[in-house]
Amino acid sequence: MRYRVRHTTTYTYDAPVTDSIGQAHLVPRSLPWQSVASYAVTVAPRPGDVTHDLDHLGNHVTYFQVTEPHDTLVVEGAGEVEVTAPVLPPDALATPWEDLRPLRDPARPGAWAATDLALPSPLVDHDPGVTAYAAASLVPGRPVGEVVTDLAHRVHADLDYDKTATTVTSTVVDTFARRAGVCQDFAHLVLAGLRAHGLAARYVSGYLATEPPPGQPRLVGADASHAWVEVWLGDDTWLAVDPTNDTVVGDRHVTVAWGRDYGDVPPLKGVIVTEARRSTLEVAVDVAPVGPWTGAA
Amino acid sequence: MTVLREYAAGVAQPTLDGSVGPASGPRYDEVVGPDGALRPGWKALAETAVGATGRDLQRVADEIARALEDDGVTYTRPGERAGRWRLDPVPLVLDAAQWAPLEVGLAQRAELLNAVLADLYGPRRLLAERVVPAAAVLGHPGYLRVVARASATDPRPLVLAATDLGRDHRGEWRVLADRAQAPSGLGYAMENRRVVSRVQPELYRQAVPHRMAPFVSALRSALLQSAPGDLADPRVVVLSPGHHSETAYDQAALASALGFPLVQGSDLVVRDGWLQMRVPGRLERVDVVLRRVDAAWADPLELRGESRLGVAGLTEAVRRGRVRVVNGLGAGALENPALLAYLPAVCEALLGEPLRLPSVATWWCGEPGGLEHVLDRLDALAVRRLDGPAVDLSGLRRETLVERLLAEPHKYVGQERLALSQSPAWEAGAAVARPLTLRAFTLRYGSAYRPLAGGLASTVEDGVSVGSRDVWVLKAEPRDPDQGIVDVLPMTAGPSRAGTGALPRVLEDLWWVGRYAERAEDLLRLVLAAHALAEDFRDRPRTTGATVLEVLLGAVSRLAGPGPLAEGDLDAEFRSVLLDPHRAGSVAHALDGLRGAANGVRDQLSLDVWRALGGADRAAEVLRGSGHSHQVAESAVRMLTGTLALQGVTANMVRDPGWHMIGVGRHLERSLQVCHLLAATTTVRRGIDVDREVLSAVLAAAESAVTHRRRYRGSVRPGGVLELLLTDRDNPRSTAFALDRVAEHLAALPASTGSSRPERLAEDLRADVAAVDVAGLVAIGGESRPHLVRFLAETTDRLTRLAEAVAEVHLTSGPAPQPLGALAPPGPDLEAVAP
Repeated sequence: MRYRVRHTTTYTYDAPVTDSIGQAHLVPRSLPWQSVASYAVTVAPRPGDVTHDLDHLGNHVTYFQVTEPHDTLVVEGAGEVEVTAPVLPPDALATPWEDLRPLRDPARPGAWAATDLALPSPLVDHDPGVTAYAAASLVPGRPVGEVVTDLAHRVHADLDYDKTATTVTSTVVDTFARRAGVCQDFAHLVLAGLRAHGLAARYVSGYLATEPPPGQPRLVGADASHAWVEVWLGDDTWLAVDPTNDTVVGDRHVTVAWGRDYGDVPPLKGVIVTEARRSTLEVAVDVAPVGPWTGAA
Repeated sequence: MTVLREYAAGVAQPTLDGSVGPASGPRYDEVVGPDGALRPGWKALAETAVGATGRDLQRVADEIARALEDDGVTYTRPGERAGRWRLDPVPLVLDAAQWAPLEVGLAQRAELLNAVLADLYGPRRLLAERVVPAAAVLGHPGYLRVVARASATDPRPLVLAATDLGRDHRGEWRVLADRAQAPSGLGYAMENRRVVSRVQPELYRQAVPHRMAPFVSALRSALLQSAPGDLADPRVVVLSPGHHSETAYDQAALASALGFPLVQGSDLVVRDGWLQMRVPGRLERVDVVLRRVDAAWADPLELRGESRLGVAGLTEAVRRGRVRVVNGLGAGALENPALLAYLPAVCEALLGEPLRLPSVATWWCGEPGGLEHVLDRLDALAVRRLDGPAVDLSGLRRETLVERLLAEPHKYVGQERLALSQSPAWEAGAAVARPLTLRAFTLRYGSAYRPLAGGLASTVEDGVSVGSRDVWVLKAEPRDPDQGIVDVLPMTAGPSRAGTGALPRVLEDLWWVGRYAERAEDLLRLVLAAHALAEDFRDRPRTTGATVLEVLLGAVSRLAGPGPLAEGDLDAEFRSVLLDPHRAGSVAHALDGLRGAANGVRDQLSLDVWRALGGADRAAEVLRGSGHSHQVAESAVRMLTGTLALQGVTANMVRDPGWHMIGVGRHLERSLQVCHLLAATTTVRRGIDVDREVLSAVLAAAESAVTHRRRYRGSVRPGGVLELLLTDRDNPRSTAFALDRVAEHLAALPASTGSSRPERLAEDLRADVAAVDVAGLVAIGGESRPHLVRFLAETTDRLTRLAEAVAEVHLTSGPAPQPLGALAPPGPDLEAVAP
């Protein structure tokens, strides 16, 4: 499936900002199942300094600085992406999960590179409650594919999707205590549960194309940026699963960036200098299929 | 018997109870061998050292304490007020033969650690080939992923390494820890050497240790050469977290010795990918940063977002190779204790040679074998977390510790506890054997690493440093070049360019130096005047003198704020005003503020500042230790002498913007203090006798009694006093005089235009004070002088507004940077949500 993606973030301030320095993860990764064409990040007002680079995990990262005084800052990532459903090697899902713990078995091919994602991270720390919760899915000898889909399924069932329950700085412990959150929190909880038992898993930031109800036009801007997880299956093979929708990731997910948790790959972060005391944030994400909508998933 | 002989006899004698534990077991003694004879290094000093008596050593210890106080040398334990730096008279002495193998080992280690950094932030061969377990490296917070990009390579991330060493019972050196994040201690080491060589000149001359100066010159030259590209005239700064930092003294002393400006994060900004210093009116590029801010706090954009100590965008500027940070931002990864377990293998892998300088035996619990070993020997080992403060957790309950180790084994190491070597420490009049550690420093100079022949040794008690020692590395031949360096360029004056004297943050510190110095001085004078009355009248209630005393005490609490103590306890009140740092407005509070501000600009100030403050401190100390009432006056006089000495120091400063800012602060504060004093004393009528005595006391407190007597021939009237203290442009203690100086100093500041708001406000005030009709002010309305009350209140208000305007125009570098999205959303309840 080919999509035209547009992700716009607008900050409006009640007084001029004299210096905005920012970092954005807005350009999707090029992957075996995803190709990226004509993608660009634009900032308004025009920044005096912009660079594009790959971070240590190979994500596209944009750095910019705007020193022209501004009341409004607009950062937009837009372009076209073609996605197919990732194909896993046969039997990859059948490995018993105990064989996929990089810290226990550092000699396994790919284990050293996956180690960073088996360790606790700033937003996904170990928590005894979460560890115990996840244990019910991590039955001895169970194939890793079942473990992951089962845990994602339980998280989906046990958590309420609630935009008011958490913020971008919420931790797994907060989410678990409230049994509610947004996609980022669903992902963090799955990560915490898997890592607590030694598996390596990464946070994926991206977009989801939402199908419109039959007979209605697609609503522009109705979508948001999305998050899910990928679990290490050995070598450089990963199983992507979306706990918010209780589904395996297919060709409706656009992968932008991955890291240990949200903190490694926020779509936009920055530091500003201003006398302003208030600001308004507007985020609009639009992932539109290119050409006529066939209705096929 | 002399001290050293007595010590040697004590060391050679076996202990009576024969108790030998793992930590108290037989130690290597730095001074005396097992046969009771002096170690080779000390033999050379025998003539002088052996003859020293207890009295000699006590004299030396006292002189050291005084010298350190005079130089304002402090060390701040986290969460505490700055404490004094402690230095023991007995140095650690190493002869050339002992030093040589250590020197080679240190040089190899620095080279190795540099290679480790280059690998961990580059190809990561060590992890891929499992020379070091990946989890041991990645679980340490010093590993910074933001600099591990293919686009960013720093070939020399390690320029200055520090190595903490201890000797085991056989006298073998072992590395206890590597310090690479932002190594501290060179400034203290230089100061230790300065003081010890000054108070024990004979011993020092006899020893002929390597001087430190060439090493400092080499460091300066290494920093200049670290600049990216091929710059003729690179700008180097020392980045400090500010004067609240633990080692603020060390940072400032090192910056001064190097001749590079001491700056804070707020003095810098990244613009278009270049690091810049905010010199007023323009930005000036910075090429090299000697970093004393931990990397995690160095960039609120990519590292800890809440940090106020860093510069947003610094990491990006570093990655783009536009500024060199020393040591590299990722260097903290080397402080990982788990690395110690793997260094021998790492050395073979990266350098192809065996590791020369062994580390203290260490086991990383993330490996099954390591965990097992640590659990088996839990009682004998120290246990530390990789990602916490370097404290030994083995004091925890055994079950708790085991539980934690099993839950997250990769976060812990177990380390052998070394029976550190001992050396005599001078404590309470006797030489006592105390364990010690050595911090060595190694510099990349040219293409090789060179250890400092010297260092900073610490006397250790329960794992905590309780005092320091100078380290003397003796030359093999007296003619050997110091530090073995012959080619270093002598320190020359820095390139001719604007210094940091006009940075807004520097001006702000100097403004407070001026204000606090004046505040302390004026309050001390008032306390002295009040105390003199108290000595005469405290036990004679209902006399004229007692009423006058009451008025003066009212003035004291107006200036110093109300005291926390019961009314009537005069001594307690005087002591509180002089000594209580928590009473905002006390002399102690002003002196603390003065010291803090001066510390922020230590590199701008003469060392005499610290001598003057040291005098005031000693006087306060004496008062704390004495219960006598007369000591209040004696100490206050000596504290006053200290603050007056500051005037002398500033009189000798270069007439740069900083000097003018001290002048603005001092004179503005003086105008304010005069208004407060007059408002508290002269606005109410209390009868002719009382008023006359009050006015006399006011003249004394305002140091104008002599002038007044000469001019008015002993007739003390309100009009004359007000003329002298308010409008007399020739009396340095008057408001009019002070305002003239404020205007002059303001005019000389770089941001002044002739019509700036502070200049306008000062000019108007000056005109109005000059034009005021004193006869009208003293006019009586009932019990009080309403015109005077109004005039003083208005003038105080206008002075406060002037101070605000000065701060706004000259001292702020604009609003502080904050995270994007941290502002409140629109809504009516802003006051409720604003911090």
